[in-house]
Amino acid sequence: MAETPSSEPIIVCRSVNKWFGNFHVLKDVELTVQPQEVVVIIGPSGSGKSTFIRCINRLEEHQEGTIIVDGIELSHDVRNIAAIRSEIGMVFQQFNLFPHLTVMQNVTLAPRYVRRQPRRVTDQVALQLLDRVGIPEQARKYPGQLSGGQQQRVAIARALAMQPKIMLFDEPTSALDPEMIKEVLDVMKELAQSGMTMLVVTHEMSFAREVADRIVFFDEGRIVEIGTPEHFFTNPQHERTKLFLSQIL
Amino acid sequence: MRGSYSDSDFYVAPSTPPPSRRPPITTVGPLGWAKQNLFSSVTNTLATLLTAVVVGALLWAFFSWAIRSAQWSVVFNNLRVIMAGFYNRDEIWRIQITAAILLFLSGLSIGIWGAITRGAFLGVVVTVAVILLVPLIGATIPEPSAYVLIEPERTPSNVTFLGQEGDEITFGVEPLTSPSDAGIPLGFIEQKSRTEWSTQSRAITSGELDPSNYNLVLSVRLLDAAEAPVSADGEPAQVSSTPDNPGGSQTVTLAKTGWYELEVTRDDEANDTNAGYAWLRIKGVELFSSAQDDQTARIDEYGPPPGGDRVLFAEEDAFRFEGTRTFAEFISLQVAPFFNKLALPAVIAALLFFNGWTIGHLGKREQPVRRLALIAWAISPVAIYLVLAGIPGSHFLPSVPPANWGGLLLTLLLTIVGIVASFPLGVALALGRRSDLPAIKWTCTLFIEMVRGVPLITILFMAKLIVPFFWSGLANIDLTVRMMIGVTLFSAAYVAENVRGGLQIIPKGQLEAARALGMNPMLTTTLIVLPQALRAVIPALVGQFISLFKDTSLVAVVGLFELVGIVDTIVSGQPIYRPYQREAYIFIAIIYFVISYAMSGVSYRLEASGAGSVRKMR
Repeated sequence: MAETPSSEPIIVCRSVNKWFGNFHVLKDVELTVQPQEVVVIIGPSGSGKSTFIRCINRLEEHQEGTIIVDGIELSHDVRNIAAIRSEIGMVFQQFNLFPHLTVMQNVTLAPRYVRRQPRRVTDQVALQLLDRVGIPEQARKYPGQLSGGQQQRVAIARALAMQPKIMLFDEPTSALDPEMIKEVLDVMKELAQSGMTMLVVTHEMSFAREVADRIVFFDEGRIVEIGTPEHFFTNPQHERTKLFLSQIL
Repeated sequence: MRGSYSDSDFYVAPSTPPPSRRPPITTVGPLGWAKQNLFSSVTNTLATLLTAVVVGALLWAFFSWAIRSAQWSVVFNNLRVIMAGFYNRDEIWRIQITAAILLFLSGLSIGIWGAITRGAFLGVVVTVAVILLVPLIGATIPEPSAYVLIEPERTPSNVTFLGQEGDEITFGVEPLTSPSDAGIPLGFIEQKSRTEWSTQSRAITSGELDPSNYNLVLSVRLLDAAEAPVSADGEPAQVSSTPDNPGGSQTVTLAKTGWYELEVTRDDEANDTNAGYAWLRIKGVELFSSAQDDQTARIDEYGPPPGGDRVLFAEEDAFRFEGTRTFAEFISLQVAPFFNKLALPAVIAALLFFNGWTIGHLGKREQPVRRLALIAWAISPVAIYLVLAGIPGSHFLPSVPPANWGGLLLTLLLTIVGIVASFPLGVALALGRRSDLPAIKWTCTLFIEMVRGVPLITILFMAKLIVPFFWSGLANIDLTVRMMIGVTLFSAAYVAENVRGGLQIIPKGQLEAARALGMNPMLTTTLIVLPQALRAVIPALVGQFISLFKDTSLVAVVGLFELVGIVDTIVSGQPIYRPYQREAYIFIAIIYFVISYAMSGVSYRLEASGAGSVRKMR
C-alpha cells in the first residue's frame, strides 16, 4: 500500500518541534503517511511518540514546523482544527468512554450533535459498528458494566462513527489484561485490512510485524529509524534500534 | 509409619447424605442480627444498653408531656395562619387551587416519567386512612367534665353550648365544704377563674378560709335556644342547691340539635352572706375550637347563640384542661380535631394526585400527553404567581400583596424560588469561575467569595435597607421579592462552589476524547461535563438546598412572617396562646423535619438512578 505513489500523502509532517516548558519533546520530526497505510510507532517510554500523534489532531499544539492533514494545515484557525478532527478518529490508552452514557449513546453522541445526523441514521450506523467490533449485545449497557477489552472496542466504534479517514491509536492495549489484548488487536487488524489509514503507538511487536506497512522508531523526541517490518526486525541499522530490540525480543 | 490401624481409624459415609438443617436460631433473623450488631462484645453491649436507656428516658419524657399535658390546640386553632399567614381570608381558595394544580401535575409527571414504589404508595394510603379514622375514633370517646367555679364575689356566668340530638348530658352542683375538696378536679376548668381559684384553694388548705361555713343558695336550669326550659321526664331540668340540701345533679337526653344554655342563678336575697364555693359540673358537652373560622362556621350552621352579654361559650380558649390526660383523651381532644380539619383536604389531595398519576401512567407512551405535561410545568410558575398575587383591579382575582403572604406558604415560595433560580445561576458561576477569560473568571470569583464571606442575615438586611438607599427605584420592589433575590444570590454562591467541586472530578481524558470527536466546548460542557459533575454533587447540592429551606426562617428577622415569624406572632401576640410556645414550635419543627427528610430521600433516589448505579470513574 505504501507502494502506491500515485495518491497524495494524507499526513505530512515537516520538521515538527515541540517543547513542554523548556523540555524539547519533539525534535525535527519528519513523516509522510500515504492513504490506507498502517504506520506503527514504537519506542521507549517518554520518547515523544504519544505526543507526536496527539499533535496530529491537535490535542497538543506543536510550536514549529508544519503538519498537513488531508490537505489542511494545522493552525490556530478553529475551523481548520474542527475540520481536521472530524477526519481523524482517536483511541486512547484509558478508553475515555463517557461513563454516564450507554454504549449506544457513546457511539451516537458525536454523529448526532457534531454531524447533526438524524437519530434514525446514527442508531443504525452505531449498531453496524458495534456488530463490526463484535459486541452488538452490549448496546444498552453502561461502560462500567463492560470488561476493559469491550470498553476499548466501544471506543473504537465511537471513533469510527464519525467516519474518519485516519485513525490514531495511542497505546490501545496497554491498560488491558493480557487475555483481552487479542480481541482489541483483532478488531484493529480487521480495520487495517479494510483499508483504513492508521497511526498506531503500541508495544505489541507481533502486531507491528504482522500489520504494519512501515515501522517508525522514536527515541528522545526524534525519529531514529523508519522501515518495513522485515527490514526493521531482521536488519535494524541504528545502534539505538538494535539496543531497543535486543531489550524486548 | 505407625503400621497398625484400628477399625475406628477408617470411615465410609452412609450412601445418602444427612438432610440439610436450619442454622441455629441465634445466628439468623432479628435475633442473629441483634447478637451480631448490638451485643457483639462487652463494650458494644454496654453502649447499646446505655444508649437505649438515654434515648428511652428522653422519649418517655417527651411523649408523656406531649400526650398528658401539652395543649396542641394552639396549632389547630391557628392552622390557617400557620399555613398561609395573613393571606386574605376570602382568597384562601387560591392557595388551595395552587396546591391542587401542583399535586395534579406531580401525579401526572410521576405517572409519565417516574415510578411510585410500593412502599410510598402504601405510605400514602395508610396516612390517608389514619387521617380519616382518627376523628371517628375520637368521636366515640366521651369528653371529660367541664367545671365552672361558683364564687361568693362573682355573679356566676351562664354556660352556652351546642348539643346534638340524642346527646346525654349531666349537669350538677358540687359544693366545696371541706378542705379536702380544695384540689382541682380532673377535667376542663373555666380558665378565667383559675388564678383566683388557686388563691382560694391555697387559702382553704392553709386554714385561712373555712369552707365548712357553707351557705350557698343556687339553682341551675337548662334552657333551649328559645330560652324555654327543657324538661326531663315531665319535670323541668333543674338542679337546686341550698345549705340544708347541698348539691345535686340532673341527667337530660337532648331532644333536638342546637344551642342550649345553662342558666345559673344565685339567690342573693335568700340569705345575706351567701358564703361558700361550689363547682358547676357539666358532663357530655363538647368543647369547641375557639378559632374564628370555626366560630363563624358554627353560627352559619346553628344560628347565633342565645343569651345575653354574660354568655360563656363552651369554647376551648375559655377552658383549660387540668389533671393528667389519658391516651384516649389525648386522641379525642388533641389529635381528632386536628385530623378532622385535615380529613377533607387530605382525601382531595390524594384523589387529585392519583388522578394525575393514572392519566400519566396510561398516557405514558402518548406524545401529546407528555408534551402537555411539559407545557403545563413550563407555564405553571407564571400561572401560580398570577393566582397567588392576583391581578390589580380584577374583580375575580383581586390582588393580594406579597406582604400578606406568610406561614408555610411563604417558606415554600422562598425555598422553591431560591432553588429554581439559584441552581442555574450557581452552575453559570461555577463555569464562569473556570473560564479562560480573566474578566469573567475574576467577576465570578469575586461574587462567590464576597457572598460566602458574609452571613445570610447580612445579605437580607442589605436587601431590605441598603439597596434601596443606593437606588431609590428598588425601594418600590416588594420586600418579599427582595428577600427572594437575597436568598437566591446567597444560595447561588454555595451552589457554584459545590458544582465547581463536581467539575474537577471529570477526568481530563474524557475532555480529550470529546475534543477528538470534534465536539466544541459548548457541547462538551452540556453533554459530557455537566451531567456527570452535577450527578456527583447531588448530595452536596441537596444539602445546600435543605439548608436554604431552613435558612428561609431568617427572613423573620427582617419582618416577614414565614413559618417561624408567624408562630412568633401567634404565641406572643395572642395572650391565650402565650403558655403554649413549646407546642407551637415543636409543630413547625416537625414540618421542617418532614420536608427536609423528604428532600434528602429524593436525593438518594436521584443518586441511585440511571447510570449512577453502575457508573465507574476511570
